[in-house]
Amino acid sequence: MKPNQKKPSDINHIGASFRDPNGFLFIQEGRIYRQVNQSYREEYDFMMRSGLYNRLVDARLLLPHQEVPITPPQPDLAYKIIQPEKINFISYPYEWSFSQIKDAALLTLHTQKLSLEAGMSLKDASAYNIQFIHAKPIFIDTLSFERYQEGKPWDAYKQFCQHFLAPLTLASWRDVRLSELLRNHIDGIPLDLASVLLPWSSRFSLPIVLHIHLHAASQKRFAGRKVEYSGKFSRQAMFGLVDSLEDAVRKLTWKPKDTQWGEYYDETNYTPEGMAHKEKLVDEFIQIIQPRSLWDLGANTGRFSRLASQRGVPTIAFDLDPAAVEMAYLECKKDVSSNLLPLLMDLTNPSPSLGWNNRERMSLVARGPVDAILALALIHHLTISNNVPLEHLAKFLVGLGKWLLIEFASKEDSQVQRLLAVRKDIFSGYTKEKFEEIFSKSYDILRCDQIRDSQRWLYLMQRTEK
Amino acid sequence: MPTPFHELIDLASQLIIPSPSDAAYLDPGSGSFILQILLATLLGSLFLVKSFWRKIVVFFQKLFSKSSDDQGQ
Repeated sequence: MKPNQKKPSDINHIGASFRDPNGFLFIQEGRIYRQVNQSYREEYDFMMRSGLYNRLVDARLLLPHQEVPITPPQPDLAYKIIQPEKINFISYPYEWSFSQIKDAALLTLHTQKLSLEAGMSLKDASAYNIQFIHAKPIFIDTLSFERYQEGKPWDAYKQFCQHFLAPLTLASWRDVRLSELLRNHIDGIPLDLASVLLPWSSRFSLPIVLHIHLHAASQKRFAGRKVEYSGKFSRQAMFGLVDSLEDAVRKLTWKPKDTQWGEYYDETNYTPEGMAHKEKLVDEFIQIIQPRSLWDLGANTGRFSRLASQRGVPTIAFDLDPAAVEMAYLECKKDVSSNLLPLLMDLTNPSPSLGWNNRERMSLVARGPVDAILALALIHHLTISNNVPLEHLAKFLVGLGKWLLIEFASKEDSQVQRLLAVRKDIFSGYTKEKFEEIFSKSYDILRCDQIRDSQRWLYLMQRTEK
Repeated sequence: MPTPFHELIDLASQLIIPSPSDAAYLDPGSGSFILQILLATLLGSLFLVKSFWRKIVVFFQKLFSKSSDDQGQ
């Protein structure tokens, strides 16, 4: 072994980066780098020289990178080391709302079109190649581009349909919650499954017939058959395929309605003065702590998250309601400079570690901690609807962030009474005094203000450093 | 010898009379590749027609905007 060569065990590979033999991501001194292997040399040089890289980066479609002169972790294989621009928070397709998946799909197809125009093609179309920087999707895998070979069908067609078209079609034609199947099927929703779950009427839509139903039938019919494709798939057919997929994606729509919390702000028992007071308090607390990053847990449509993001704080707004996340995302899209990323997350069952060796996709907790946690109108849902004891809640939150802005609604609050109306009250420990006693074991309570015209209190807490 | 057209018709018939579901492992790519080849002519032709139609629309849009500009002057 050469002196500068690290042992494989010393290389801090990123768990999701192992499939592509053309390179891998690694972490060194807290920074993420990508080793580009010699096997990708010609493709990499072609992409950089053809103008494709600049065209994609200038349009903010591809994450920019810099070539850096650091010692490769595997020098025998290495061609170059590149340092991609930093992404603050990694999110996954099963955490995206309908329009987020749709925008990621359209970005992938647009990237493929521009690649074809430059004489290249995407060799994969994984939804995990896309990340959201604020409200805008961006392609992050620099090694996904290969020189286009005329006559060859698109390698990534199947993956595109499984990762994007199937969840979008199921969400649009059947039920928006079906896109969450992506969490179980890490390489996209199998097309035979999508086909049987779709309503019979979907067979009257040509793009769905071609790319889902016929595609599933073809997979079954030709399984294991040797493919001879030489010269049979023209450049025009390739553009036609991408155009047809784009047409299919654009036609798919979903309008938020009839979900649990879609109208929550309107239905709640805050008076206009109470709501204004709550907003003023949250804003004041954010100004006091000036966090570098914030997670809003149970953010609904992100009304309070925006108080932080508008002050330049990188903010993630988590909610379990697809309608709320969709509305928050559509709102964010109006302001691309927004520091807000809305995501789907059920806190009673947050995203786990997934994939090979449980290291491909990070759990929610593994993507923390952050500087501050905002937990408004949340704990009564977790405690009363989901029986999460306050002690467990405090333990969970204290691991996520140093600062905590949390709202407590007493049993006299109408929303809490609504939750208790449908079940036996077994929550004798759910009192303001008990809440303060339990949270005081982990936090210093710096402020406690009652929200005007309500039975709710807003707390500012700082984790007790031991 | 079955032509791509016959293959496509045969495949399409499975949509109307689905065969019983079995738990067979699906080949990762053959079916997707073959479908693309079977659809190549259709997709290519549709794209050609669409591109041609767009050009016609753009031509008339320019023509009418030009004539309305002329009228405006």
